[in-house]
Amino acid sequence: MNSSIESMTASERFAAYLAGRPVDRAPAIEWAPWWHLTVERWLKDGLPPEAAGGEALQEYFGLDKCLQTSVTCRTKETPSPASYGTGILEDEAGYEKIRPTLFPDPKTLLSEGRLDFLKRTHERGDTLHFFTVEGFFWYPRELFGIEKHFYSFYDEPELYHRICDEYADWLVLLFEAVFSRFSFDFMSFAEDMSYNSGPMISRELFDEFLAPYYRRVIPVIHSYGVPVFVDSDGDITKAVDWYAGVGVDGMFPLERQAGVDVSVYLDKQPSLAYLGHFDKMCMKFGEEAMRAEFERLLPSLQRGKVIPSVDHQTPPDVSLEQYKIYVRLLKEYTGKITHRDGALGPCPVFRKR
Amino acid sequence: MTIFEEISEKLQKGKAKDVAALVADALREGQAPEAILNQGLVAGMNLVGEKFRNNEIYVPEVLVAARAMNAGLTALRPSLESAGVKPVGKAVICTVEGDMHDIGKNLVRMMIEGQGIECIDLGVSVPPARVVEAVKDSGAKLVCLSALLTTTMMGQKAVIDALKEAGLRDQVKVMVGGAPVTQAFADEIGADCYTLDAASAAKAARAFFPD
Repeated sequence: MNSSIESMTASERFAAYLAGRPVDRAPAIEWAPWWHLTVERWLKDGLPPEAAGGEALQEYFGLDKCLQTSVTCRTKETPSPASYGTGILEDEAGYEKIRPTLFPDPKTLLSEGRLDFLKRTHERGDTLHFFTVEGFFWYPRELFGIEKHFYSFYDEPELYHRICDEYADWLVLLFEAVFSRFSFDFMSFAEDMSYNSGPMISRELFDEFLAPYYRRVIPVIHSYGVPVFVDSDGDITKAVDWYAGVGVDGMFPLERQAGVDVSVYLDKQPSLAYLGHFDKMCMKFGEEAMRAEFERLLPSLQRGKVIPSVDHQTPPDVSLEQYKIYVRLLKEYTGKITHRDGALGPCPVFRKR
Repeated sequence: MTIFEEISEKLQKGKAKDVAALVADALREGQAPEAILNQGLVAGMNLVGEKFRNNEIYVPEVLVAARAMNAGLTALRPSLESAGVKPVGKAVICTVEGDMHDIGKNLVRMMIEGQGIECIDLGVSVPPARVVEAVKDSGAKLVCLSALLTTTMMGQKAVIDALKEAGLRDQVKVMVGGAPVTQAFADEIGADCYTLDAASAAKAARAFFPD
C-alpha cells in the first residue's frame, strides 16, 4: 500500500475512497464501454481513429482507466439464440441437451497473457480492473429467453433452481481460480433485473430463486477481499435493499431516467457503494446543464461511497466537444472529494483491504 | 363465490387450465358469454392491472395471468362469436423500427387484450409504412408504439408523420411508451397519449373506446 495520498495508484484510491479513508480525489472513471454509435459520431467530430478503442479512448480523454474482464459459463459449443431475446432451451430436456457445452474449466478462462496484462497494468498504477459474470437473474434469462424466463418462475421452478445451483457451484470454482491469481479491484454481477417502474420480479421470487445462490457465492468472493457490485439498470429503489440483504457491496449504474435518486439510497443503505448516476440525457445541452447535474450530485459525493460516472453509456447525440467538457467537469468535481475532513463508515468488505 | 369470481381469482393466479375449465363450466351452466367475458375474465385482468400498477405483483405474475386470460378467451371465443359479441375496439401495436425489444410491447398487448380490445401485433422493428398499411387494412382506431432506446424513440414520431402523410392521423389515436419516453416527448411528437406502464396503457386504451 502506497503511504502517500498524493501518489495513490488507481487501486489504492478506489479502495480508500470507498472505505471512507482520505484520498487525493475521487476516482474519475467510465465503467461501461462506449456505445459504438457514439464513437462513430465522435470519429466524424474529429476523434483520432487510433483512439477509438476502449482503453485508448479512456487514455485519450485522460480518465482513470477502468477495464472489465468478463467471463461466461457458456462456451463456443453452446448454441446461440435464433434472434435477440429468444432462448436456447424450453425445459429440462433442453437443459440436458446443452449442459455438456456449459461450465468450462475455470482455470483455463484467464490466459497467461491476460493475467500478465492485468498484473502489468495494475502495477503501473493507472488502471482499475473489475471482473464480471452473469447474475442469477441474467444467466437463466440468457438460457430461457426474455419472455420464457418470466414464465419459468412458475412453469419450471425446479429447473430454475437446478440451473442456478449448478451455476453457483461453477462460480465458486471460478472465483477461487481467478481471485487466487489476481486481485481485481471489484467484481460485478450483470443482472438488469429492474426497469423504469422498479424490479421486474417480486421480493418473494427474488428470495426464492436468486438470494440462496448469492448467499452461497458472495462469501467466497469476500474471502478474497473483492467487493461485489450488481449492475442493474432501471429503478433499483426496492432492489437495492434486496441485494444489500444478500451481501452485495455496491450497485450501478443508477439511471436518472428511471427516477433513481442516490441520496435516498445513501440514507437507507449507507454501507453500500454507488457507481454512475450522472444523467446522460443532460450532456447534449452543454456545460451549464452538465455543471448543474454535478451540483446535484455533489452533496451525495460528499457523503462518500458515490463514484460519479455516466449513468450508462453516453448517447450519440453528445458531441466529442461536449464529452470533453463532461470529462473536464468530472475531474473538477471528483477533485473536490478527498474525505480528509472525517472518516466515513466503510463498506464492510473494504475494511479487509 | 360466484363462478365469475372463481374465474377472476384463478386468472389472477395464472391458472390457465383452471380458467379454461371454469369458462366451459360457466357456459354449461347457461351463463351469457358476454357476462363470462366481462364479469370473469376482464374483471380479473382489471384487478391484475391494478395490482401491477400498485407494485403488488410484477411482470411474471402479469404474464401468467394474461396467459390464463387467453386460455379463457380461447374457450369462450366460439360462444362469443355465436352470440355476436364483438371486441370493444381494434388496435395496432408494435415496437418501432430499429428496436428489437418486445417484452414491454407484449405486456401492453396482453393488458389491452384483457380490456376486450382486439390487438394486431406487428412485432418488433416495424417500419412506419407497415403500421400505415395495418391501420388501412384493419380499420384500427388505436396505434400503440413502443421504444426502449433513446436512439429508436424518434421512430414513434416517424410513424405519426407517416400516418399524417397517409391522411390517417385524424382517424386514429396514437399511444406511446417505453423506458426513455416521457410525457414531454409524447407532446413534442404529437402523440395522443403517454403512459408509464402497461397497466396504465390498458386503462388509457379502453378509454379511447367508449361503450
